[in-house]
Amino acid sequence: MRVALFIPCLVNQMMPDVGIATLELLEKLGHQVILPKGQTCCGQPMTNSGCFNEAKKTTLKLLNAFKGVECDAIVCPAASCLVAAKENFHEFDTSPEAQKVIDKLYELTEFLHDVSPIPVFSKPFSHKISLQMSCHGIRMLDLATPSEQMGPRNNKVEAVLSRIPQIEIVYPDRRDECCGFGGTFALDEGAVSGKMGKDKAQAHAATGAAYAVGFDPSCLLHIDGMIKRQKLPIQIRHIAQVINAAL
Amino acid sequence: MSNKNSAVHAKKAEIFCRDEARVDWHSKALWTVREKRDRAAGSLPEWEQLRQIGSEMKLHTLTNLGQYLEEFEKNCLENGIQVHWAKDGAEHNRIVHKILADKKVKKLVKSKSMLTEECHLNPYLEGHGIEVIDTDLGERIIQLAGQPPSHIVLPAIHMKRGEVGDLFHEKIGTEAGASDPFYLTRAARAHLREQFLSADAAMTGVNMAVADKGAVVVCTNEGNADMGANLPKLQLHSMGIDKIVPDLESASALLRTLARNATGQPVTTYSSFYRGPQEGGEMHVIIVDNGRTDMLKDKILAESLKCIRCGGCLNTCPVYRRSGGHSYNYTIPGPIGIAVGAQNDDTNSIPWACTLCGSCSYVCPTKVPLDKIIHHHRRLKAEAGKLPYGKSSYMPLVGNFMASETMLNCSMSVARTALKVLPGSLLKPFSGAWGKYRELPTAPNSSFEAWFKKNRG
Repeated sequence: MRVALFIPCLVNQMMPDVGIATLELLEKLGHQVILPKGQTCCGQPMTNSGCFNEAKKTTLKLLNAFKGVECDAIVCPAASCLVAAKENFHEFDTSPEAQKVIDKLYELTEFLHDVSPIPVFSKPFSHKISLQMSCHGIRMLDLATPSEQMGPRNNKVEAVLSRIPQIEIVYPDRRDECCGFGGTFALDEGAVSGKMGKDKAQAHAATGAAYAVGFDPSCLLHIDGMIKRQKLPIQIRHIAQVINAAL
Repeated sequence: MSNKNSAVHAKKAEIFCRDEARVDWHSKALWTVREKRDRAAGSLPEWEQLRQIGSEMKLHTLTNLGQYLEEFEKNCLENGIQVHWAKDGAEHNRIVHKILADKKVKKLVKSKSMLTEECHLNPYLEGHGIEVIDTDLGERIIQLAGQPPSHIVLPAIHMKRGEVGDLFHEKIGTEAGASDPFYLTRAARAHLREQFLSADAAMTGVNMAVADKGAVVVCTNEGNADMGANLPKLQLHSMGIDKIVPDLESASALLRTLARNATGQPVTTYSSFYRGPQEGGEMHVIIVDNGRTDMLKDKILAESLKCIRCGGCLNTCPVYRRSGGHSYNYTIPGPIGIAVGAQNDDTNSIPWACTLCGSCSYVCPTKVPLDKIIHHHRRLKAEAGKLPYGKSSYMPLVGNFMASETMLNCSMSVARTALKVLPGSLLKPFSGAWGKYRELPTAPNSSFEAWFKKNRG
């Protein structure tokens, strides 16, 4: 398949390794990967602050970067940004061209689970990992059934990762409680955000896992800051990095 | 109506967070209730169907509200119940006072009602010389302490048992230093029994008002509503217009989720249906709007009126558990408090006391889309030019900054360098709030885009 990368500003600027791992793993799976030019922010910091007027320009610029790009799928290694892009594209542009872009948008786990399953992992990943079940991925993208919901359970993240040889997957206590990042919440409500992040970092470390692994770079960056502040014996990894290491 | 001592949520939360051991205790106590809820909900294979039924039934009722309210009034009148209509809290209080004054009531026993808290009934009646005794144990505790509730179902959840012991020692004469819950509860029971026996009138809130029966449903675990309503000859019930349900079947569907979602119990210990005055007595129902029809005009805000006040959203909310119920500038705290109270918050900050994690919306037994409503409140605040935390000044800058690749790339390149050579100093205000609680990230050498150009370009 011809896959266009949607690399959110945070990944582009602060976590390029996540972008590189995403690109490499998709290439290893035989996809032709392109990076459309002119990508900016999805507008989430503004719309989550209620500032829709301020979000319009950047959202439309990002949308335009994908309009008319020849590809079968647009893949993003950040669940929260992907949800925001979907919602904001729709908010500011209801044209058929915008809908075409929206219909091709996939979060990485979603893409690897629903569209292009990995045939086989060639290398083991002999570590215990603690999964970071970030909110927007599970509660808005259905990557996993949230703990509040009753009935049949589904977990695309575990389904993809559990096929890696020798990997051991565990979950922190209060498995899908928010880590406290919340975008500008981390700045506006520093004390509560800090306490939530501290609790989450400790819960991951308490599992004895070597890595806290997740699909949302912004949450991971926040948890990383907490892990380092408390000097906890655990590191963060993005799922793309774990998958890429096993291919 | 906001508190007199209103301050932005973040400030109150920061003060609450200074005592970390207390935050941990508060958070854990409420998370335990969430876990009980999960077990109770999980015991019903039809749980998700019940949520859907609850949601659709409440929406149907709200859509046909006028019709059901009129049907309810007609049936109440046929049952010998006197019905009163109040457009706001002030009118509600005047109506209640007139009913009580006509009967020369000196002491009123009240069972838990968030509506009378919302209307600030207690101080109004006390100002008119009527003694009001809250009879729910938690409500009585905070009434003796002179505090507002910090939770809609567990109003004194913020107090530790030792603090309750000290309070009871001072106010109702229990032994000094006693903190045994059994002992304190027995003492409260004896104290409240005297109040029930000497009251001239009783008042309760309403969990549901059944339109086709002209009856009100009151749910308690302590039987205090029943002790009140069955002793004095005069009984009053206050309800918001959103409490109406079409029939008994609808009420029973909600009764199946209410207590399970609130505390993990299959049903409240007492679920009483009142459909007429006792022999020789009087029964009054006061139906209150107080801003609810205004909320109905906004399609998104209207859904908050589906709420049945189980408190489940508070227990699951990671922000509520770590900031406490007194940090919201509104009688009702937590996600539902933001949903129904944001418009009255003069600090404009409570819609931002939320990470938009969405847990509340999934917990809710009537599928109130709380995170969407909170998000919508932010937009309404922005459109009204009422943004907190300096957002109105920096958001337009962020908007332009993010929309410009050149600006974004250049400044982030500078920022990465700054992170390397000047850890924790530059990048204000970002690093200030970020760096106070977390370590700053390790700066990568280049952006992904630059790497791509070099390696795949």
